[in-house]
Amino acid sequence: MSKKILLQAVAFVVICMLHSSLFAQNGNLVLKFVHIANGKIVHHNGMFTTPNGEPYTISKLKYYVSNVELGKSFQHTHLVNAFGADSIEMKVPPGNYRQLSFLLGVDSLLNCSGAQDGALDPLNDMFWTWNSGYVMFKLEGISDSSHADLNRIEQHIGGYKGENKTMRRISFDLNEKLTIGPKETHTIVIEVDLDKFWDKGSIAKNPVIVIPGVLAKQAADNFPFMFRVKTIL
Amino acid sequence: MILLIALMATLLGAAKDDGYGPFKPTPLKLAIPKGWPKPTGNIFAKNKLTEEGFQLGRKLFYDGNLSKDGVTSCGSCHQQFAAFSTYDHDLSHGVENTFTSRNAPALFNLAWMTSYHWDGGINHIEVQPLSPITAHNEMGETLENILAKLNTDSSYSRFFKAAFGDKAITTQRILKALAQFTGSLISSNSRYDQWKNGTLKFTPVEESGYALYKANCSSCHKEPLFTDNSFRNNGLPINRFGDAGRQRITGLSSDSLKFKVPSLRNVQYSVPYMHDGRFNDLDKVITHYISGINRQQPTLDSLLQKPIVFTERQKLELIYFLYTLTDTSFTKNKRFAPAQQITYKH
Repeated sequence: MSKKILLQAVAFVVICMLHSSLFAQNGNLVLKFVHIANGKIVHHNGMFTTPNGEPYTISKLKYYVSNVELGKSFQHTHLVNAFGADSIEMKVPPGNYRQLSFLLGVDSLLNCSGAQDGALDPLNDMFWTWNSGYVMFKLEGISDSSHADLNRIEQHIGGYKGENKTMRRISFDLNEKLTIGPKETHTIVIEVDLDKFWDKGSIAKNPVIVIPGVLAKQAADNFPFMFRVKTIL
Repeated sequence: MILLIALMATLLGAAKDDGYGPFKPTPLKLAIPKGWPKPTGNIFAKNKLTEEGFQLGRKLFYDGNLSKDGVTSCGSCHQQFAAFSTYDHDLSHGVENTFTSRNAPALFNLAWMTSYHWDGGINHIEVQPLSPITAHNEMGETLENILAKLNTDSSYSRFFKAAFGDKAITTQRILKALAQFTGSLISSNSRYDQWKNGTLKFTPVEESGYALYKANCSSCHKEPLFTDNSFRNNGLPINRFGDAGRQRITGLSSDSLKFKVPSLRNVQYSVPYMHDGRFNDLDKVITHYISGINRQQPTLDSLLQKPIVFTERQKLELIYFLYTLTDTSFTKNKRFAPAQQITYKH
């Protein structure tokens, strides 16, 4: 038994020494998503109003952020939850960066590549079972303006094919150039404005969008206008 | 330096012993029957087919714990003796006395399909089980509950370890294992196949039936799969559920009332017929093609514009040919049966 532990300890030390000598020191980038509506932070008890005056509460807000590009491309998919894990952390090579972008949603290939895990696990309740594909953006709540069952709002924005695809690349110019040094952690605070989600939309007209199609596409067209860089730390 | 790390790694690996032995899955190859086209895609591209994966999938396929009532398994509706359809049921029974909204398709030769379900809504074999598992009128269960139940069933530990390297039960592993089982169901050894291979003779009636099939059915129900796996409207009046078929998936009005062309293999056992099981014998099916087609439907398949004319004798000859597509080596293959005795709910 002690021989096993000794072997493991030696292996551990050797691997650590190798790691630090062979690989460049990455920095850490955190993308922190802050969600607002009517200029206020979104929370479960909040009462908000759409731009055309419809009142609503929010019970669920989650969406996929994937294929981040900062200098290089990071092929990873993350699930952001406004009421849970609302930041993404990644190792990035040291450098000066003027642009950041990511895909809001899950790319086409992953939508048709079978059973996935991690953020893409169907356990996360973001995968349509009857019409295979991911829900890119999910917003749920209650509104007196909704004539749907139990006054619910269900905006399950998805669809990955053709002209009704709902993934959108969101790009930012980093006006304050971001310089990341080795082993440094920097945070980009991204503000997500739900008022912009309802642009050209209406709770009264479409409280429930849960299939791919033109309504989902129109909602997705608002995605790029919802995100802006608030602060770079 | 690399050698040193490799040595450490193997020693570490040998040091870890979870009591189930080394991870050495037995690779399998999907056997393509002689003369058949190769599948256009590869359903096992990201899911290495192994004997251990197949056996885990088989165990899961027949496990009632995948449903809310603890008794309804995939095998409850996909019955091997009915070529993995539900024998003699137009709609199948879901949990708690519910009914499915469509007829349960027979399961075989799935590797040659690029989408699944009557409306093609499923784009990959691995994600298909999510639909019946979570549907309230089918198995009515949640993935969380299934993981909890399977984690209390110690008989699964050695299956997951053997198939995937450790005991961890995940949704991805469950789905990949099920795909290894269902994807391996191949039916290619009917009397027809043996006749084509020259190892037996058809009767004159069967030969006449084959000629009628070639002249009237083979464009859509193409050999050797006996389907071209396309979506077509064969003129069935819309049903009481307003089921518009593929249009529900694509949103296109040009897809209204189109359904996947099913294979004619094993039709003797996959009764009743069509997406809602409306025809309970083959005579009714053929009668539909002769005189039942709704010609007002704008999406009616162009191949059915010309009326089909059969005498009563010709109908029988065609049916006798269709019976030659029955493959008992498939429906009785113990490899696809439950590994242990189970009781069905009904």
